[in-house]
Amino acid sequence: MAIYNITVNGEQRQVDVDADTPMLWVLRDSLDMVGTKFGCGIAQCGACTVHLDGNAVRSCSIPVSAVGEAKITTIEGLSEKGDHPLQEAWREHDVPQCGYCQAGQIMNAAAFLSKNPNPSDADIENATHTNICRCATYNRIKAAVKTAAANM
Amino acid sequence: MSNSLKTSRRTFLKVSGTAGGGLILGFNLYSCSTMPDNPIFSNLEINAFILINGDGTATIKAKNPDIGQGVKTSLPMILAEELDLPWEKVTVEQAELDGRLGSQFAGGSTGVKTNYDNLRNAGASVRDVLVRAAANRWEVNAEDCKTEDGFVISGRNKLHYGHLAEEAAQLELSEAPPLKDPQDFKIIGKSKSDVDIKKIVTGQPLYGLDQEVEGMVYATVLKPEVFNSTLTSFDDVEARKLSGVIDIFKIDAMDNPVNRVDGVAVIAENLWTAFKAKKLIKASWKEPKGYITSLKQLKGDFKKGLAAKGEVLRNDGDVAAEFQKSGNVIEATYEVPFISHSQMEPMNFIADVRENEVFLVGPTQTPGSANALASRITGIPRENIQVKFTRIGGGFGRRLGNDYASEAVFISHKIKKPVKLVWSRENDFLGDLYRPAGCYHFKAAMNGTEVKAFDVNICTTSRYLYRGGSPAHGTEAFPDQQPAGMIPNFRVSYSPLLTNIPVGALRTPGVNATTYAYQGFIDELAEKAGMDPIDFQLQMIGDEDRDMPYSDHGGPTYNTKRLRAVINLVKAKSGWGQVNREGISRGFAAQMVFGTYVACIVDVRNISGKIKVDKVYITADCGRVINPIGAEAQVQGGVTDAISAAFYESLELQNGKPQAQNFDQYQKLRMKDSPEVDVSFIANGEAPQGLGEPSYPILFPALTNAVYKATGKRVRELPLKKHGLV
Ligand code: FES
Ligand code: FES
Repeated sequence: MAIYNITVNGEQRQVDVDADTPMLWVLRDSLDMVGTKFGCGIAQCGACTVHLDGNAVRSCSIPVSAVGEAKITTIEGLSEKGDHPLQEAWREHDVPQCGYCQAGQIMNAAAFLSKNPNPSDADIENATHTNICRCATYNRIKAAVKTAAANM
Repeated sequence: MSNSLKTSRRTFLKVSGTAGGGLILGFNLYSCSTMPDNPIFSNLEINAFILINGDGTATIKAKNPDIGQGVKTSLPMILAEELDLPWEKVTVEQAELDGRLGSQFAGGSTGVKTNYDNLRNAGASVRDVLVRAAANRWEVNAEDCKTEDGFVISGRNKLHYGHLAEEAAQLELSEAPPLKDPQDFKIIGKSKSDVDIKKIVTGQPLYGLDQEVEGMVYATVLKPEVFNSTLTSFDDVEARKLSGVIDIFKIDAMDNPVNRVDGVAVIAENLWTAFKAKKLIKASWKEPKGYITSLKQLKGDFKKGLAAKGEVLRNDGDVAAEFQKSGNVIEATYEVPFISHSQMEPMNFIADVRENEVFLVGPTQTPGSANALASRITGIPRENIQVKFTRIGGGFGRRLGNDYASEAVFISHKIKKPVKLVWSRENDFLGDLYRPAGCYHFKAAMNGTEVKAFDVNICTTSRYLYRGGSPAHGTEAFPDQQPAGMIPNFRVSYSPLLTNIPVGALRTPGVNATTYAYQGFIDELAEKAGMDPIDFQLQMIGDEDRDMPYSDHGGPTYNTKRLRAVINLVKAKSGWGQVNREGISRGFAAQMVFGTYVACIVDVRNISGKIKVDKVYITADCGRVINPIGAEAQVQGGVTDAISAAFYESLELQNGKPQAQNFDQYQKLRMKDSPEVDVSFIANGEAPQGLGEPSYPILFPALTNAVYKATGKRVRELPLKKHGLV
């Protein structure tokens, strides 16, 4: 075990974990931030998506020792009041079914929209293709990302 | 009203501040704007479902597990409707296992259908005591009081429910309270977004995996690669060297594999350590007798199964005689693979087994069974076992079994500590209860466009046989499935196959396979008849309005008029036969599924030999729709889930071991393969039916029938991937 100082949602946090502990488990089990979800553990499904310096990454596959100074943003820190345009659009379109994948979907889409605020339909499809939704809410994910882009 | 919904004594769950009911006794007349929120109490239980707060709002219990089918929203909507309280004044709370709430269960698309009447009654009975309380206070007749938006009104008297709850709680609840005229519904039939939406989009704890209890340790399991192997020995020396590992021991199988199979438990201070330690264990397993080593072997077994004389489940007329004299006999064999549930949230459960009580919390579709199982394992009486269930990250039938809860109980019982058990995704593939694989042989005799004889012989890896239930054909073969009763000579036979592959219920168990096979074969018959597939099915169904006997789930009958209506609407919606879009080929299928009528048209493109689904049209008649926005989502999800299975999904085996143990090898459909799904409903006042499943099975044949049009290839074995079509 070793001490790591990481920045999560703008706050300095200290954790005492093994160097190879994925960020996912640091967030969930050490920091009690359970919004980031475990789906596959091998960077396939995207349920664990967080931002590392604004880029969407798979927290299940990034060991805490590799984070360094980079700033982590999780679904809990995406917006102060839960009113990021994507969060609003998700509500408007009632996107979730079971809802389990949706934090990852939103984080993935948020990183994408911050880089491409005026996406085409094809851009949206490409960018969201990375994340599995087992309940297959894809029609609404697409519609909600479009709405969010229009409102940003 | 059923006994289960009767309430005993009502009690305050929480009382904050001074009980304020008395303070308002003097005021009978207020306008809305000047009415003080005087009563200072919350969660005053009027019946087991409804708790009233002093400010006139209510807490409504969501009785059933929500696996993504939306019942945490739709069932409370029914209560709120009859309570006559605006939805904005309702807070929904997940109930725990509570005998007073009736059966608490998620499966078979039964949530709305079996609770609609009871919940209307339960909501109305609370409204009724509130009205009577008001009438008493105002010394008027209850008949002269009405409710509106959470107020009771009589002449110039007006009070909100919070002012009346304490008096209402003293009154006996009526067993047959007056119900609303459905024409006056304000909540049922209006779209309400998921009650957890805010929590979901902000990452608040909701799911089993998000729960914790004081003092808990973490656990995971090592499972054999050949299903149902027994553990002979294991070496945990390396694993125990990891700091943070607490214990490692064998998990014993129970008498029935659906309750628990052999494994090795790894207990650690945190989950990551448990996952790492698991990889360091060297375990030896003994394979079960007669295990399936490859899908080739399975194919051979199916052949034998079909050749054996199966049990005849239905035999109308004389198919053999008809085949003998007919010069036009058509045969085809369809096949479906084992497919995984791969629900998004991996299996997990928290168990805390104490001296003479147990606390359980986790994602289960059958909390009552989890309670019974925990009692069997620990010997602790059921009434001392508390079960809480969470919002669930996908079920699809997988969490009807409680094998993972059983493991958590076993572990906690042994280590005498609360434990949070979490499976890895690999555990999930090695411990799934797969959709049974099956084989369907059809033979039909035709005379012109008319089907004279229809014979189907089915062999599947029966899930009832696997779990030791009966009959073996239950949820595998359906003697009354359409077109039974529409063809004079008609026979259905079934032979079960027992293998070591764990099988269970998956979204429309059995029906998802038979619908694909039957409706695929019927499309072949339509072609033989030289008819448009829709015209052919309508001809087979007939013009007469008939109630067809149906002895399986969704019965006891289904109605041909309603079936024709969904077909005609989807036909009109899609412009079938009218609109011909360049490069588009269309397929069609329709059937009653679990009491809901579905008709589906799939548009595909053939892009250099690869299939792309362009658009799906689907019409459903599920009777009254409770929550339109949720209903549409269920239908879209079911259709798209089926495209995933039809395109990619199959459990591949090598030497008895599943080749896919995670999403890198087991492909799931993603955004770019997901077409627009156009959903329409037939609005009628019929009794509400379920929607979580019916759209799933109908997609398979509609898709493969379209694929045939696009490529000339009949896909009689799923998935499409096997044929290089995706
Ligand atoms: S859990 Fe990280 S990508 Fe699936
Ligand atoms: S909503 Fe269930 S996995 Fe996406």
